[in-house]
Parts: sequence; C-alpha cells; structure tokens
Amino acid sequence: MKYSLLLNNQRVEVEAPGDISLLKLLREYLHLTGTKEGCDVGECGACSVLLDGKLVNSCMVLAAQAADREVITIEGVCLPDGSPNDLQQAFIRYGAVQCGFCTPGMILAGEALLADNPQPTRTEIREAIAGNLCRCTGYQQIVDAIEQTSLSRKEKKGHA
Amino acid sequence: MPEYRFIGKPADRVDALEKVLGSAMYIADYFVPGMLLARTIRSTLPHARIKRIDLSAALKIPGVVAAITSEDFVNHGRFGYPVEDMFMLAYERARYVGDGIVSIAAETESALQQAVDAAVIELEELPAVFDMTHALDPSSALIGEQPADAEGYPRGNLLNQYAVRKGDPAHELSTCAVTLEAEYSTMHQEHAYLEPEGALAIPESDGSLTVYASCQSPFLNRANLVKVLGLPEGRVRVIQPVVGGAFGGKDDLMYQISAQVARLAQLTGRPVKMILPREESMIASYKRDAMQMHIQLGADASGRLRASRIHALVDSGAYSSITPFTAWRSSIHAMGPYRYDACHVDTDVVYTNNGYSGAFRGFGNAEVCFAIESAMDELALKLGIDPIDLRLQNCLLPCDITAHGQKLGDDVGLAECLDEVRRLSGWQHKHPLYTSEASKAPIPGELRRGIGVAALFHGISLGAEGADFAAGTLEVNPDYSLTLTSGLTDYGTGSRTTFTLIAAETLGLDPNRFVMPRPDTNSAQDSGPTVASRATVLGGNATRVTAEQLSQLLNQAAADLFACRPAEIIRHGELFIGPGEEPASFEKVVDHARKIGLALSSRGRWSAPEISWSMQKGQGKPYFAYHYGAQVAEVLVDTGTGKVDVTGFWAVHNTGKVIFPQGAYGQLFGGIAQGLGYALMERVDFDQGYLQATNFDEYLIPTSMDIPDIQGEFVEKPFSAGPYGAKNLGETGLVPAAPAIVNAIANATGRRIRSLPANLERVLLGRDLRKEGSSTACKLGLK
Ligand code: FES
Ligand code: FES
Repeated sequence: MKYSLLLNNQRVEVEAPGDISLLKLLREYLHLTGTKEGCDVGECGACSVLLDGKLVNSCMVLAAQAADREVITIEGVCLPDGSPNDLQQAFIRYGAVQCGFCTPGMILAGEALLADNPQPTRTEIREAIAGNLCRCTGYQQIVDAIEQTSLSRKEKKGHA
Repeated sequence: MPEYRFIGKPADRVDALEKVLGSAMYIADYFVPGMLLARTIRSTLPHARIKRIDLSAALKIPGVVAAITSEDFVNHGRFGYPVEDMFMLAYERARYVGDGIVSIAAETESALQQAVDAAVIELEELPAVFDMTHALDPSSALIGEQPADAEGYPRGNLLNQYAVRKGDPAHELSTCAVTLEAEYSTMHQEHAYLEPEGALAIPESDGSLTVYASCQSPFLNRANLVKVLGLPEGRVRVIQPVVGGAFGGKDDLMYQISAQVARLAQLTGRPVKMILPREESMIASYKRDAMQMHIQLGADASGRLRASRIHALVDSGAYSSITPFTAWRSSIHAMGPYRYDACHVDTDVVYTNNGYSGAFRGFGNAEVCFAIESAMDELALKLGIDPIDLRLQNCLLPCDITAHGQKLGDDVGLAECLDEVRRLSGWQHKHPLYTSEASKAPIPGELRRGIGVAALFHGISLGAEGADFAAGTLEVNPDYSLTLTSGLTDYGTGSRTTFTLIAAETLGLDPNRFVMPRPDTNSAQDSGPTVASRATVLGGNATRVTAEQLSQLLNQAAADLFACRPAEIIRHGELFIGPGEEPASFEKVVDHARKIGLALSSRGRWSAPEISWSMQKGQGKPYFAYHYGAQVAEVLVDTGTGKVDVTGFWAVHNTGKVIFPQGAYGQLFGGIAQGLGYALMERVDFDQGYLQATNFDEYLIPTSMDIPDIQGEFVEKPFSAGPYGAKNLGETGLVPAAPAIVNAIANATGRRIRSLPANLERVLLGRDLRKEGSSTACKLGLK
C-alpha cells in the first residue's frame, strides 16, 4: 500500500506492504536507521518515536496507524543545520551515551517529557524513561543530561 | 601528582556525536545492493544426534538461494579457545537448545521462513545432564567429547580443575574459635546487550571476503574464519561496526554467525546479512556461568581470619567457550581480598546441556565475590563484629602476601576504599540502627531498612591465562590530523576516548586532532581478545608507547629544524621550543619532517609484566596487579511482599589515576546496575535445558526506576605499571554489587539468602515456589 506521513516535518510518501510495523517502515522502506530494534515486543524502547508528539514504541504501531500523522524520529531532533540540539549536546557532555543503542529512544523520551513537563524532578525523569532500557549506563548520567537540559531551557526562557 | 592537560579532565566521548544524532551505523543498519538475508535453524532438543538433514525441499522454494551445514566448512568448522570443542554449525550432535544446525540464505524474509519450515532435520534425542552436581556421576550421559579416563582435560564431563594451595586449612579450622560453613549458589545471567548479534559478509571480486561483525575481537573472528573457510589471512577482512553493547557476550556465537554468513556469501557470490531476533539471541547466546560454592571460614575470637576452604563447581554448559579462563579467575578470587594463614580452593568445571557459558563482565569474579562476601557477613554476625571492621581487620594491605603467595605492590588501596565508603554511606549511624530494628519481630507488611557492604579485588587483564600484550599505530596525516589505531576494540566502554586522551597527553597535542577509525583487521594491529578489562592498562600502555615513539620522531624533526639536539627541545602546548629561537608550531615541525624525509608514523607494543602460575602447586603470581573496591547498598524491604527497593548506593574504587572521568563513572554506574539486576531479578532459568525467558517481557533487567542515584568515588593511588598510573575498571563495578545488596537484605530482615537472585519469594519465604517449566518459549522463539 501507499503510505503518506508527515515525517520529521516533511511530507513523505512510500510504497510498502500493508501489515508491517512503523519501525519496519522507517528502517527498511524509508532508510531512517536511527530508530533501533531491540526486542520487537514493546519492552525495550529502542524503537521509540514521537507520534503526534506522543512517545510510542514504533515496533508496536502498525505502519498504517501512522498514516497522515506526524512522526518525529531521532533524525528529526537535531537543529536545521544538522548539529545536535541542546538535549543531544547534554547527552554528550554528561556521559549519557555508551554503546549508544538506546540513545535515540532515550533522547525522544527526554524530548517527550520536557514538552509535557518542562521542569521535571529527577524522579519524574526516571519515570519518564522507565520504558526505555539501557544496559550500559545505569541511567544516572541520562537523568543528569535531561535534568540539565530542563534547567538550561528554563534559564533561556527566563532570559527571553 | 603531576598536572596533566587532558588526562583526568572533562572530555567528550569521541563517538558520542554520531550516536546522539542517530547516524552511527550498527550492523543492522547496513543495507547493500543485492544483499541476501540469512537465518539459522537451531536445535529444539537439549542433546540429540543429528540423524539426517534434507534441504532439497527448502532449496526449491522460490527466493531461497543457498543452505549450509557443518559439511560446508573445513574440518566441519571446528573452533574454540582455549578448548576446540565447537563447530560453526553443529556436527553429529546438537548439545543445547539453540545449537545451530543449518543456515539458509534467501532473497526475502518470507522465503526464508518458508525454507526454515521446509527444511528436514531429523534429531534423535540423547540422554542429557541438567544438574551440574551430577555431571561427573559415572551414570551421567557424556556431553564432552573425550572419555572419562582421557589423558589431560577435558576428561568426560570434567572440563577442567583448578586449585589454590596455602598451608593446611583443615587443621587450622579445627582450632579456630569461630567457624562458618555454608553453601552459596549463583545462576546464569544473560548479557542483555540492547543490540542483538548480527553480521554481514560481502564477497569481493578478487575472491576475498569482507565481514562486518558486531563482535568483541575482530582478530579472533578473522582467525576463525581463515581456519574454517580455508582462505589465506590476507583474503579475509573483519570490520567492526559500532557495537551496541557486549559485556563479554559477543564472542563465540558471533564467530559462528560470521562464519555462516561468510560461507553463504562465498557460495552465492552475494552479500549475506544475518541479524538475530531477541528471542533467538537469548536462546542461542552464551551466559554467565552458574556456580555452586561451599565455603568454610575460620577466625580467632578477635576476628582475625585464619583459614578458608572453598570448593566450587562451575556449569560450563554444552561447550567450553572461555569458561576455563573465567573459572580459573573464580579460583584465584574465591577467598576474597583477605589474609589467611591457610587457604585451599578447588574448582571443578563441568559440561551440562544448560545452554553454554562464556565471558561476562566480572569474568568469574562476580560469582565468587557473592559467595565470599556473603560468608564474611555471616562470620561477622557470629563474631559480633561490625562487617566493615571485620573486613578492615583482615583486608590485603600494600606489600602483603596473598593466599597465592604473591607479594603485592604499594598500589593496594582497599582499606582506603572501605573507610571512605563507610563515611560516604553514613554506615556508622545506619548499621547499628537497622540491626536493632531487625531484631524486633516484624509486623506483617512492615517496611524494613537494611544496609550491606561488600569488598572486591580483581586481577587486571588476562593473568596467567594467556599471552598478554597490546599493540597500536599512530600516523600523522597530510592535513595534520593523526590516525590512532588499537587492536583492542571499543564496544561501548569508552576505551577509544581513553586511548585518544593518552595519545594527546603523551604528544602534547589537542585530542581533537586524533581520529580513531573503527577496528579493522586490515589496518589495526592484533592485540588479542578484548575481554577481562584489558583495555585501559594494556591498550593504554600500547598507545602511550606508540605515542612516545612518535614524539621522539617529532623532536628529532624539531631539533633538525632548530639545528640543536633533540634533548634540548622543550614543549609548550603544541609548540616546539629550541634554544633561543622562535617556537615552531606542530604544523611547521611536520612540514620540516617531510622535507627531510622523516616518516611520521609509529608502531608500539606493550607486554604485561611477567606473571606465573603453577597448576600443580596452586601457587604463583596470577596477575600482575589488582583493582580494589568497596560498595555499600541500602535497601527497603517490604516484609509483606518480599519486594526490595535499593534506596541508596555508594561505591569507592581503587582505580589508580582516572584518565577519562566521565567514562569511568559510566562504567561504574553501568556495572552496578548490572550487579543490581544480578542480585534481585535476572534469572536465566533452564528447565530441562529449555530457557524460560526469551525476551525482555520475561527476562527483566533493571529500569531507571530500579536504581537509585549512586555516589561513586575513586581512590587514585597511582599504579606504576599503568599508563599515567591508571588501572582498569570496566568490570569491577558489577562484581561486589550483588553481595552488598543481599547483605543489606539480610541486615533488614535477619534472613540470609544464599542463592541468587534474591527475588520476591526468596526474600519473603526464604525458598523458591516451584513453578512448572516448559519448552514452549524456546520452541516459539526458534520457529
Ligand atoms: S524494539 Fe520496540 S520496544 Fe523494543
Ligand atoms: S548506552 Fe548502551 S544501551 Fe544505553
């Protein structure tokens, strides 16, 4: 079937089978491989994307369910010139990245949280990323990165 | 301590940018034109004779291009280190549920699935062994390949035996005022790297092969490929893409997958890729070994430890993998970092049909650390001595002699770690308080607090197990950047950043000038396996040596430029200063070197200091040095449900100089998280050889909600043989975490759990509720 979606702020159309997951559509038909597959059963969050601004596991969403909706993947998070945004920079600065396989999903989980709750507590951050497994970091530096981004965004807003 | 410019200073990981942008290429992200997909059909029986394989129907399915068995490899694809007992695909016998038998390549996933369904593999079930304590019974089925009366090891189901011998502990124990005798057990643990295994083989037009593999040791991979494909070394190139975590788990199975896609690519002349689904990864991959340990400890009434006697049994499962090495490490560390008048350790390593075991962060030490640190706590309770005091009273100090007869150096910092972790955690106040709370009978459903400690020592690098060296290369590029290579790979641990910082410090050049290409057997130097926390000391020293050589070349060029002796060159930042002249920039010195025809490249190699071990005497110098550490966990136990919350965690490790602090903390926190999972929830259950949990819905690993904020500190006592005084720390965070947590649970509840994991029922009831196991999850997972 023909899919049409608003992907990373661009309208895209693609031909693909009707019964595949959004994850497969992104990776294999749209060649956006930043979204990862870790379990394919909705348990690890490596495949997290934003669907109409909401964090979802794309392995559990049928591609057809995303039709005509807005999808943001890790490839759509950076600044227009391709450089990392503030949250991505904070992931680098605070050591939130080790093997990096969970990182795209974690960053989207962080963005979803900060959109919803711009000044979360550390516990709220931990709750927000509880669906995203990371085997490398022990999560602490990921929490640091999200917390610091929320503080710097607040400061920026205060100055604006 | 000398002031460094880059070492120990904040730095970004060299590979973080591509990872946050989502552009880092992992093996599953490679799509090449004409690529075939591959899958392996695996045994659904724990032990079976392969009677007949008929692939004719499978090969007739449109889109199916090729299929292979062990017959398609040289010598049936036999490989394995240190014991050659595996095959690239099972030959004659399948020895565990998940053992690969046939690999198929096809154009599409659906053709592949049809081929898997159409392939005929006739298996005849053989008697199996699931209980390690009966593996050596004469009546047990033979899982190994050699008879029970073979010369040397393996012999029957006995893969190997190790001993440590000091004095006569039986005699000492009979005269000790206080003794303890207890049995501890640990279960298998799944690595659960977030990226499952995968490989892609690309046949080149000249008949050579390029294999991209998500593995730990590309050189070992190539050596195996060369052996089983019958190609000369120069015709096989292994490249490591970005690896999504390994923790010791991406060796043997990855070599099989690599050989399978390589052979299929050779036969079809097309690129072939295989990515394991999570279920297949969990079923087929090796695990941390399970162990049973019987411990006797004896002390004076004052708490001075006098003797330990330990017998350990290791379940290697169906194959050897690297378990002989991990089990040797278990033997060496089984008595813990303490002084004894007498100590005997005996370790038996056996074959069973419970999957198979191999390397996992901690490398044999996590298991024995759980046992000895639990026993130390039990002994402290019997003696009426504070657990930290008991450890301080007996712990190894600088220049002590260990139970192995090894005289230690001045780098030992365990007492400092214990003192500091006591202070950080508020132990002095909390431990007596929680102990007195636990002495009262619980009101059902009451929440109880507890605090527990554990200490560790951990031999650096491979030890007397194997030849220990690393190599590196450095080259100045035309654009004045420098290319640095190392044969020790980085699968998420940050060692590439560590090496870059060491090279930058040694050469006095900005770290941003350095590029470290992905490990590639065509350009890097073989440095042996990337296991056992070898990276910092081995790879770091090799990098330092390589950089020192290049630095000499640069000084030579600068001296020629200034017409002075190289010894007169002084460095300031990136500048080269000669006697009384304008300083020259790095670029200018490089230009001059080129002008005088001086090649600016170097190759360095570093070998570990001499070590020795006598298997007969059970004495020697097993490792050239040790890492030390101490951790404290605080828990809240729900006495109504058995639920344990870890509410506080403190860790102090004697790491030597910390080169890349952000990475060091990351290794520490990540290790502790895996240790917390090992303590409380991670349970690889083999029921009649069938794994009970095959994905993250049932195999639970810690989430962000399970781990508290951890407070970590490093005792940076410099280590003279380490690069800039550094020791390794990749594995050590994990090792004492489980016993610290289980000791905290005992402190909270007054009940001792001697088997991992301390799950709900064990905390609540002190025993397992027997559940019926089933083969369903495995069978579904392999369909
Ligand atoms: S791949 Fe979707 S949640 Fe794991
Ligand atoms: S960084 Fe490896 S899984 Fe998170």
